Amino acid sequence: MLLNYLNEAAASGDAKKLIRYVRLHFGDGNEENGRKEIDKAWIEALKIMLDVPETKREFILETLAEKDAATLAHLFFHLHFYFVRRSGEWIHDGEL
Amino acid sequence: MANSKENDSRQLRPGLWTTVNERYPGAMITKTDFVPLAELKKPLSESRLTFVSTAGVQSKNSVPFDTVHPISDYTFRPVPSDSKPLDLEIHQLKYPTVGAKRDLNVIFPIERLQELAKEKIIGGLTKNFFSFIGYNMDVERLEQTLAEDIADAVEVEMPDAALLAPA
Repeated sequence: MLLNYLNEAAASGDAKKLIRYVRLHFGDGNEENGRKEIDKAWIEALKIMLDVPETKREFILETLAEKDAATLAHLFFHLHFYFVRRSGEWIHDGEL
Repeated sequence: MANSKENDSRQLRPGLWTTVNERYPGAMITKTDFVPLAELKKPLSESRLTFVSTAGVQSKNSVPFDTVHPISDYTFRPVPSDSKPLDLEIHQLKYPTVGAKRDLNVIFPIERLQELAKEKIIGGLTKNFFSFIGYNMDVERLEQTLAEDIADAVEVEMPDAALLAPA
C-alpha cells in the first residue's frame, strides 16, 4: 500500500522516494509534470514579490508561531495549488 | 481481457492501469477476501435505492473535499437525493470534469435516478446519497474508516439496494 511505502521511505530517510511522490501528486501521476508544477508555483510566488508589495508579516509570523506543523504542512500544499491556479495554467483534469 | 491494444485505443489515457504501480508505487493491491453480493429481497419496483459515488460531488453549502491533501480526504458527504444538479458541485482533481460540468448526470446520475423512482421502475430513493473522493493513498484507512462510516450512514437510510459507482 502506498502509505506504507511512503512511511518506509520516511523512516529510512529515502528522500528520492518522498520527493518523487510529491512530484507525482502535483503532476497527476507524471513526475516530470510535477517538477514543472512545483517550479510554476514558486515562479508565481516570486513574481508577486518582485515589486516588494506590502504584506501582512505579523499574520505570517503569528501563524508560524502559533499553528502546529501539520496545519502548516497542509497549508503548504494549499499554497502550492493556490499559486498554480493563480498562474492561469491549470493542468489538472478536475477542480479543487 | 480483450486485446490490450484494442483496449488502449478506447482509453483516454492508454496504459493508465498498467503503469499505475510505477506512477504510484505500491498503489496496486490484491484483495483475497471475498464478500458476496447480497441478493435483492424484493422486486426492484418496490426497492428503495441508495447511491454511493467516488465522484467528489457535494452540496454547494458543504465543506469542500480536501483535494490538495497528499494522502487524501477520508470523509464523505451526504447528498440529498432530491437535489438538482445546480445545487451540487464537484471537488475532485483526478478525473476530467469537463463533461460532468455540462451534465452532472454523466458522473453522478441523480436526475436519472429521480426519474426511475418517479416512473416506479425503482421503488424509491433514500433521503440521501453518498459521495467521497477516490484518490486515496491509505487503503487501510479507506477500508476501515471511510468505508465503515459510509456503511453506517447508508444503513441508517435503510435501502434495499445500493448503486456503487466509481468516477
